[in-house]
Amino acid sequence: MPLLTQFDTPGSLRDFPAGSAFYGRWHDVINGMLGATPTPGSGGVGELYNPHVTNVNVVGERLLVWMGFPRGLLLANRDNRQQAFELGDKRSATERNTQVEYLEWQMTKEGGKIKKVTFVTETPEYWQTMFTFDRNRVLSLYRELVNPSITMADITDAGGSYNPLNAWNTTKGIVHYIVVSPANTLSAAIGLAKDSVTLGRATHAQDNYELSPGAQTSADPRVQTDVNMLARKGLSVTGREPIGLYMVAWDDTGWTKPDGSPVGNYWRIPRGRPGAALRLEYEVPASEGFFVSDIRIGGRPITHGGHLAEHVTVMLGGIAGTRAA
Amino acid sequence: MPSRRKDGKDLKQKVAKALENLWKAEGDVARQERFSATGANFGPQFAAKGVAPKDMAVRAEEGEVAADGEPVFEEAVRKDVQGNIIPGFNKDYQHFLFYRIGTVKFTKKWLQWIAPLISSMDEVLAFNRMYRSLRFRLGSKDVPIKATWVNIAFSCEAIAALTSKKDCLAFGDESFRQGLAARSEYLGDPTDRRAAGNKRNWVIGGPKNEADILVIVASDDAKLLRDALNVIKEKAEEHRLRLLFEQAGETLPAPLRGHEHFGFKDGISQPGVRGRVSAIADDYITPRYIQPTDPRSRLFAKPGQLLVWPGQFLLGMQRQNPENLFTPAAAASNFPKWAASGSFLVCRRLQQDVKAFWEFVVATATSLGVPAQKFASMLVGRWPSGAPVARTPNADVPALGADDLASNHFLFDDDTRPSNLIPISGYPGDTYSQARADMLGLVCPHFAHVRKVNPRDSTTDLGKVADSLIRMILRRGIPFGPAVAGVKDPSASLWKKERGLMFVSYQSSIEDQFEFITRRWSNSVAQPNVGGHDPIIGQEGSQGSRERFIDFPAGGKSVRVTIKTEWVIPTGGGYFFSPPIGAIAGVLGS
Repeated sequence: MPLLTQFDTPGSLRDFPAGSAFYGRWHDVINGMLGATPTPGSGGVGELYNPHVTNVNVVGERLLVWMGFPRGLLLANRDNRQQAFELGDKRSATERNTQVEYLEWQMTKEGGKIKKVTFVTETPEYWQTMFTFDRNRVLSLYRELVNPSITMADITDAGGSYNPLNAWNTTKGIVHYIVVSPANTLSAAIGLAKDSVTLGRATHAQDNYELSPGAQTSADPRVQTDVNMLARKGLSVTGREPIGLYMVAWDDTGWTKPDGSPVGNYWRIPRGRPGAALRLEYEVPASEGFFVSDIRIGGRPITHGGHLAEHVTVMLGGIAGTRAA
Repeated sequence: MPSRRKDGKDLKQKVAKALENLWKAEGDVARQERFSATGANFGPQFAAKGVAPKDMAVRAEEGEVAADGEPVFEEAVRKDVQGNIIPGFNKDYQHFLFYRIGTVKFTKKWLQWIAPLISSMDEVLAFNRMYRSLRFRLGSKDVPIKATWVNIAFSCEAIAALTSKKDCLAFGDESFRQGLAARSEYLGDPTDRRAAGNKRNWVIGGPKNEADILVIVASDDAKLLRDALNVIKEKAEEHRLRLLFEQAGETLPAPLRGHEHFGFKDGISQPGVRGRVSAIADDYITPRYIQPTDPRSRLFAKPGQLLVWPGQFLLGMQRQNPENLFTPAAAASNFPKWAASGSFLVCRRLQQDVKAFWEFVVATATSLGVPAQKFASMLVGRWPSGAPVARTPNADVPALGADDLASNHFLFDDDTRPSNLIPISGYPGDTYSQARADMLGLVCPHFAHVRKVNPRDSTTDLGKVADSLIRMILRRGIPFGPAVAGVKDPSASLWKKERGLMFVSYQSSIEDQFEFITRRWSNSVAQPNVGGHDPIIGQEGSQGSRERFIDFPAGGKSVRVTIKTEWVIPTGGGYFFSPPIGAIAGVLGS
């Protein structure tokens, strides 16, 4: 397969006109993350490569999927699931610190009821790159996505730099990831994949069951185990274009209106597309006459955003192949 | 262009041929079974060492802790755990009685009466060991001993009525407290009230016909079963219990014994419960067949049978640790004290439309250019004989399907290596081709039933492979209705008869185990891996939709196949709790 000429934006977003120099800037960001030389696998078996630099004949793709709600919270509260969901929403003023699965969400309430839940898989790198390129475009997107009254001062710090922890991305709204420990960033995800090819057991695991990378998340061991599994077979592995973190599926089976009938399609994808959403909103149309928290999932009322996040699947696409001659 | 009428005739003939082929293939199994896996179900720990089960029981010393950390089930516990949970009845005839309590006072009297009839883990284990020992000695499956077992389980409502509302609420499993009918749509069942699978149309367990008590009677012999049933039903009537529904279950006739109605061998993959009957070496609840020198002996009871800590199935015992395979996690604590050693029982009466399934198979296989039986086997992940597609991608190998030590030994993500087995007299070893790495799901697709419900060494949407072990259930189902698979030229009246599976599972958390597997894996197009629904038991229920799909691997690409018909239709069931035997005459019956 020929070398990739330019990395595309996540979800092939077109936040700037076609032909804008921004797209070259974004290419440089991804190119820099993947590096000029492949990361060799343990014992020289397999590698993580940059498709802009290394030519590989792709043999297949593997979509790495995981649950959006933090697995660690469910495990720590195995006998009290409601406690897990309470912790999933709990955060300090500027943090969504428990939302560590590369899915962050925020609830909009009205009169104590949940009116809307917004999920994002957008990365701070993308927004920072946009801001550096054209700060006014970032402001207009904030106004479009969160609140029309937002000013430049609202999203910048005293020195005029972009402030990812601004109120419209933390307490009053949500635009992109902010969790830092463990980091919900694209560079963290790519770094994780790079590290995964260098994990031990490069040639053959002991039936794989013992592979148990440390983190209690779903995301980290999913990426580590799958990338390592491909690399230890001598395959060259990289991200599937357009490289990014996505919401690949959401399941509202068994969600019912107050009258017991199935809910309608209350999902909206302001950014991305079905199967690869970057921003996903769940809000009941006003004409229905009820709120999100009036919906029941399997007969249970929605009291937390995590009740929905449990049914959102996050995805990082991967491809694998062999070096072209 | 062929006429629609001719198409219909062709399809009918092809379906008949496919079913006939099943019959032929299984005839081969019957012939080969004598020569394969002859040691697979024999108890080497008795036969090889000459220790009779009775001796073993006498020598068991209570309170001992084995060196490997696995718990020793003390005699008192073994006599308290109901036998269908562990080790399982595994009888050819099983009957299900669904009762509604008439008056609490008389029900309690009836419980006092039935309590001594409830079969314990201790009894069933002893029988199974004796059976294996005799089978080994006689060299035949035709062992001249028979048993009839009885178990019982209660809904949360029944527990509230027999004890107190507080006791019912003390069960932390919210799904159990809600009941199956309340969770039906969450499991993907039809929301359209006109649909046969809608809970309002269920023969049992719907909003208006939920059962309080489920009695399971099982036997090796149809007459013995009838006798036991007559006595139980007579006494129940006498004590004003109302029989809402009853269902007879029976294994399919030879040569499809052990198969489900679509024609595929069922129940092959079960977790092996960790634990010992005593601290004596090799005295395990789940017999072990792998050499202790093979590191996999710590993982598997026999090749492919993962060892799982008992708290996944029995309340109050150490549970599986989702982070570590060998160190158990703490027992659950969210249940009434008296419920320790009990287990949640999920019962689903699943009607199977064999014709719809095979018509879809034949029509789709034809359009894809794949042999019908191969296509059907890729949907299941196993060939009709039970031979895994991962080990034999292009043709059934009935002898492999019949070999208990080989048919469940395969990985998905890496090449599978042979296990080092303990010496088993007469067993030549697993000599079949081993499974090759299939991480992209090209051989056994990601949607295949066996890959959906048991991802094995593959990681899942919950990250760690170890996490999959906390999802496992003990399946104790049995078919109902007359078989059509394996019947040559089935008559029109035979086709019309109802058939299906009485699905029964035991677990310590309905939500994290049965419901998780059903909703999060079988019904999902993206979990545990992207590729479509489980085409066998998966359901689509989002926003009232019923259409499913699979992404079928073909020629380096995948072809999306939509599935518009349903062939597994829920028609009843319930969520129950199978209490410790002491509680039946005790807290529940007193």
